[in-house]
Amino acid sequence: MTSPLARRDLLKFSLAAAANALARPAWGEPSNTPPLGKAEHCILFWLGGGMAQVDTFDPKRLGDAHSKPSRSGSYYNSIETAVPGVRVTEHLAQTAKVMDRVTVVRTVNHRVVDEHAFATNLVHTGRTISGSTVYPSIGSIVAQQRGPVDPAVPAYMLIGIPNVSRGPGFLGAKHGFVYLTDTNSGPAGFSRPIDVDSQRVANRLALLEPTQQRFPSDSLPADYRSAQAEALRLSGPEFMRHFDLTQESGSIRQRYGGEFGQRCLLSRRLVQAGVRFIEVSHNLNFINGTGWDSHRSGQQQLHGLIQELDTALSALIEDLERQKLLDKTLIVVATEFGRPAAFDDGGGRGHQGSTFSLVLAGGGLRHQGAYGVTDDDCKEILENPVSIPDFHATIHAALGIDPRHELRDGARPVSITDGGIPIAKLLS
Amino acid sequence: MSCVIPFRRGIWLLLCLASLAREGAVARAEVRVEICESGLDDKDAWPEMAPVATEFFSVPAFAIDQIPPKYVDDGIRGTRPSPSLVRLTGTVDFPSGKHRILIRARSAARLTLNGTLLVETPFAPKNGGDGSQADTERLVPLDLGRGYRFAPNGEYERIAEFETTGGPVDVKFEVFAGGREGKTPRRVEVGETVVAIAKSENDVWELLTPGPHGVRYTDADWAHYRDGLEKSLAERNAATRARLRENSADYWTPRRKEAESWLAATPEVTVPVPPAGFPIQTPIDNFIADRYATVKNQNRQRSPDKIDFFRDVSPLLESRCVDCHRGANAKGGFRLDRAEAARRGGESGPAFQAGVAESELMRRVTSHDPGEKMPPKGERLTSAEILVLDRWISEGASWPDLPLLRDSFTGPVDDAGFLRRLMLDTVGVPPTMGELGEFLADTRPDKRATWIDRLLDDPRWADHWMPLWQDMLAENPNILNPTLNNTGPFRWWLYESLRDDLPLDRMVTQLVLQRGGDREGGPAGFGEASQNDVPYAAKGAILSAAFLGVDLKCARCHDSPTGAFQQEQLFQIGALLAAKPLDVPATSSVDPAKLQTLGRTPLIRVTLAPGSHVEPKWPFPLFANPEVLTPLVRNPEDHRERLAALLTAPHNERFAQVLANHIWRHFMGRGIVEPVEDWEQGIPTHPELLRWLGRELVRGGYRVKSLSRLILNSAAYQRAVDPLLRTSDPLYAAPEPRRLSAEQIVDSLFAVSGKPFRTEALCLDLNGRRVTSNSIDLGTPRRAWMLASLSNERDRPSLSLPRLQAVADVLTALGWRGARQDPSFSRDASPNALQPAILANGVMMQWITRLSDDHGLTEFALREQPVETLVDNLFLRLLSRVPTPPERTRYTQWLSDGFATRRVANPVYETPAHVAPKFITWTNHLQPESDPAAQERIAAAQRGDSPTPRIEPNWRAHCEDAIWAILNSPEMLFRP
Repeated sequence: MTSPLARRDLLKFSLAAAANALARPAWGEPSNTPPLGKAEHCILFWLGGGMAQVDTFDPKRLGDAHSKPSRSGSYYNSIETAVPGVRVTEHLAQTAKVMDRVTVVRTVNHRVVDEHAFATNLVHTGRTISGSTVYPSIGSIVAQQRGPVDPAVPAYMLIGIPNVSRGPGFLGAKHGFVYLTDTNSGPAGFSRPIDVDSQRVANRLALLEPTQQRFPSDSLPADYRSAQAEALRLSGPEFMRHFDLTQESGSIRQRYGGEFGQRCLLSRRLVQAGVRFIEVSHNLNFINGTGWDSHRSGQQQLHGLIQELDTALSALIEDLERQKLLDKTLIVVATEFGRPAAFDDGGGRGHQGSTFSLVLAGGGLRHQGAYGVTDDDCKEILENPVSIPDFHATIHAALGIDPRHELRDGARPVSITDGGIPIAKLLS
Repeated sequence: MSCVIPFRRGIWLLLCLASLAREGAVARAEVRVEICESGLDDKDAWPEMAPVATEFFSVPAFAIDQIPPKYVDDGIRGTRPSPSLVRLTGTVDFPSGKHRILIRARSAARLTLNGTLLVETPFAPKNGGDGSQADTERLVPLDLGRGYRFAPNGEYERIAEFETTGGPVDVKFEVFAGGREGKTPRRVEVGETVVAIAKSENDVWELLTPGPHGVRYTDADWAHYRDGLEKSLAERNAATRARLRENSADYWTPRRKEAESWLAATPEVTVPVPPAGFPIQTPIDNFIADRYATVKNQNRQRSPDKIDFFRDVSPLLESRCVDCHRGANAKGGFRLDRAEAARRGGESGPAFQAGVAESELMRRVTSHDPGEKMPPKGERLTSAEILVLDRWISEGASWPDLPLLRDSFTGPVDDAGFLRRLMLDTVGVPPTMGELGEFLADTRPDKRATWIDRLLDDPRWADHWMPLWQDMLAENPNILNPTLNNTGPFRWWLYESLRDDLPLDRMVTQLVLQRGGDREGGPAGFGEASQNDVPYAAKGAILSAAFLGVDLKCARCHDSPTGAFQQEQLFQIGALLAAKPLDVPATSSVDPAKLQTLGRTPLIRVTLAPGSHVEPKWPFPLFANPEVLTPLVRNPEDHRERLAALLTAPHNERFAQVLANHIWRHFMGRGIVEPVEDWEQGIPTHPELLRWLGRELVRGGYRVKSLSRLILNSAAYQRAVDPLLRTSDPLYAAPEPRRLSAEQIVDSLFAVSGKPFRTEALCLDLNGRRVTSNSIDLGTPRRAWMLASLSNERDRPSLSLPRLQAVADVLTALGWRGARQDPSFSRDASPNALQPAILANGVMMQWITRLSDDHGLTEFALREQPVETLVDNLFLRLLSRVPTPPERTRYTQWLSDGFATRRVANPVYETPAHVAPKFITWTNHLQPESDPAAQERIAAAQRGDSPTPRIEPNWRAHCEDAIWAILNSPEMLFRP
């Protein structure tokens, strides 16, 4: 028995066609559409805590955290990359070799309080809070606009801890993420308990069946019954096999490195499965204690985190390229803010939102190695500032979404980005 | 060796009796707990003079883990000075010998025996800071042997020896609650504050008590002890609130009289005489029957081959036209959201005439002229859509008031269904088997009315109503730093108001006055909006939507495009709430450059330029005239007092009607006006009933329970469900199968299974080292509404709360929002695959479907009974009904295999490892050991509790499968 409501409409996580019908140009007819890219997928790395750009993608002169007084500057030496004139920290040696597939946007800036939650929310939603609505995360917007690539899988997945900033906001729960906290556990809700094998599933369904049949088809409980059938499919091998990393060769698993690398490998598998947007959290905080929020002593082992990022990012770029997926898959390395070149009293770094780096790779963009110029203290922007809405607009444009289109919050039109303009140089 | 009997609830009874007998005096068998608020400074030193107590209560032993909230004003939670000092005193009979004494406290504490200091703990260091301090605090607490209760939250522990020849000893245990970091206060809490004793030559730790019964200091006995403590404090707190409310009787008694005179002075609503043949139980049914008959008559010419307005035309108008053509500011002065106005037409004259093919409407929807075509933007109407409009007009443009979803009313719901519905609607969980049996056996003709009264008196009533208020008022506390539009935890004020059935006018008055402790749960917390550019504009919008049905959301940045309300009105009410003028920042406006469109006038207007200064002023003279205020305001100079009075005065009929509409919808599935928060958009389906309900609310002293009683007793409420209805019937001919809320589902799953609702405390500062402004403790939830957002936007495994996360995952999938950045008046109840998935496979459901020793169905399944009876009882207990014949056959067959031998004669319990839980909280969460410890905790939550060894494993698995299947049936999610 099927419900007369098309089952797909009812159950799918995100439906591109229906969503696009709602998207209208913002503030009247657009005079000229920005050039749009052809990327199909997005993998967003989240470096919670605030990645220190001077120690990673925007290196400056070497500082000294331990002298009295400390001398501001990078904590590590920098090296040349595949793009002449573009340098990165020595701990990004593998990424440096594929820098021609990467653009570090060095002039991202926001003028909000340098507070984790507020900035995390801003970088995810592109907007500040108002209390009159809840803005959706970029993952939810992309999911709502484009739906899953394969309708049999969710459009938006998260490998990390659920939070508000990653949520669907006014777009509603069906545009939210399906999450797993790490590669050892499957997606919450879809992974069956260990003591429930397929025989037990069959037994349970046989018991469930008569209770389901008490409701006529075309009733609200029958709609729920259809959702149960869809859940059952997603808990089955057809979907769950994507999470089984043992199907990858030992050498590729090794190439990706530690847990974060394995999450990236899983992301590639999810891309292949047809997931549209994957956010991957780099929260392996035990490596240096503080994670990317490298105040005080967190600075001392920061290179451990950077190296893990380097291994995973370069492996993902290479692997996607080998699979002919790099041009179709935009990789974003995002964080809530950067950190100043000056050191704090414990030899670590505070927060700095006024100038920091975010990274784009693959996705069919015209990569430059780096975009935008900052001063010697990485404090002032000298050329090509990029706002958070601009950065979002660039991601949307790369994914073929016109960033000026409108979403609907009830009757209220809300443009996809708050006046963001894509970085033209990367798209033309 | 002394006689230690396991602790029983009896000790609390004993204490209560003792207290009754000697009120005010310290009974010998109890411990007097005094709270001292003055005479202390922020120097982290013991005062030279013993500070004077301002409050006291009694407990059975030298053990507390909480002190009552401080109540101020008229019974709301206030702020205690931090630090305060708590003093426990009593006289204990010691046996002779050398004893070991343990003290445990969060910060400084000292134990004095017969006037001599025996042992003390230090002041907690001032280092709430960044979470990486490796201070004296241990990740692993002290271990004093098997059975010993580990310090749960990093409390300081000290041991001393005490030798006596026996006899009474005066015991004084003083502890600091709270403290300061510089000038900033910490929460005034005590943590687990205990004096325990291991009597000579003995390894058994007991709570030190003056009473005759020892209480072992083990995890299990402590859990009973603190349950008792919590219950006795809850009673004490209720009494305190009631006493404080008496203080403002001189204001509220005249207010009640004023309401009575207003009722007397204004005309009553005539209750219609219903047409014959309709069931009538309360006057509500007269209104319902009358309206039904009228609409049925309007729909009499309906036929399947004719265009039907609600089936064919209305969806088209809604999706393509009404966005612009609605409300007071409809484009071209033409409204398509009201029949009468649509027939009247707009600036271009009448849009159509019934039965006349040629019309302005048809001309515009078929026009290609860019200045004339409709809709002006987007896709044109399809030819099929145009044909629908054309035929509809030609056939007479029939536009009945409401659709007729059913040709008759359904009969009354059966008794079992009624009780399940009633309980889900009043207390939020289904009946127990005992309740169900009692109700079914009740033969009194008025048993439904009797049970309605019984449930209205049930304290769980407050639990069930919390979500509505939390959603509506955007209660949004964050356990870590207030950030994304967070409020204070005013949930405690809401809960206590609902629990006490505080009249709504009084409750809203307290809300508007925003007094009490903003971080302690007082209504002041409503006024908070962290990181918001104009907090009081956000609050003004909440207030006007929730209590006046005026949606001012748009007015935050511009005038409402459709409604009659302007930006200035929002800022005026915001200024009243703020009790000062408000300035409009540029972030709360729309850049005029963005409003430039091609040719047409913009939909929205900005009438309040950034930088405008808006004075406090009542913006709704339409609803209440400021002149009626004079007798109702205590202090006319106080903006909040004025706002409260204007909102809640009986003369403001809108207020009572909007609240009555919320209550009505809560039970009936839809409001008489929808949307409930935006009356400009909605047409009342039963305008006379609405007025009547509003007046009844006033007549009942603005008490929710009084109006609820009227609704619950109506035939309209008690009708059987029509399983084929897909929406709530606006004529109430039958209820539809209505999805339960996330909270109802989760609470019901725990309630019917009997699995304890056991999670971590909702707190990331378990040792109270952070300051109040940055960390709050929301306690250990016992109902779903008590959860809050677990998200701290920091992505740190060491800050995870995995058991709470497992519950939150289910709630979230079912439509709950942990973070309520904006108010919400309805939840998304549509199905998606994650909902059944999380109920089938999720961690919380694994706990609920595994027969562990503490599971309510373990004993149930072992009971001596035929297998058929077990099956019947499972269905009765979980679904409040007996199984259908096919269900009975299948489940009986499934459970028969191994049924006779299911009981394990000598269950073998593995000796639980005596391993201290690792203590992780903010102060140590960045230490390298914390993340791996947190990972272990996550894994443990996912594993759940071990299955009971009392049931043979194969049959247990069968039984768990049966429980799984019943709990996963769609029926668990729907209201009967």
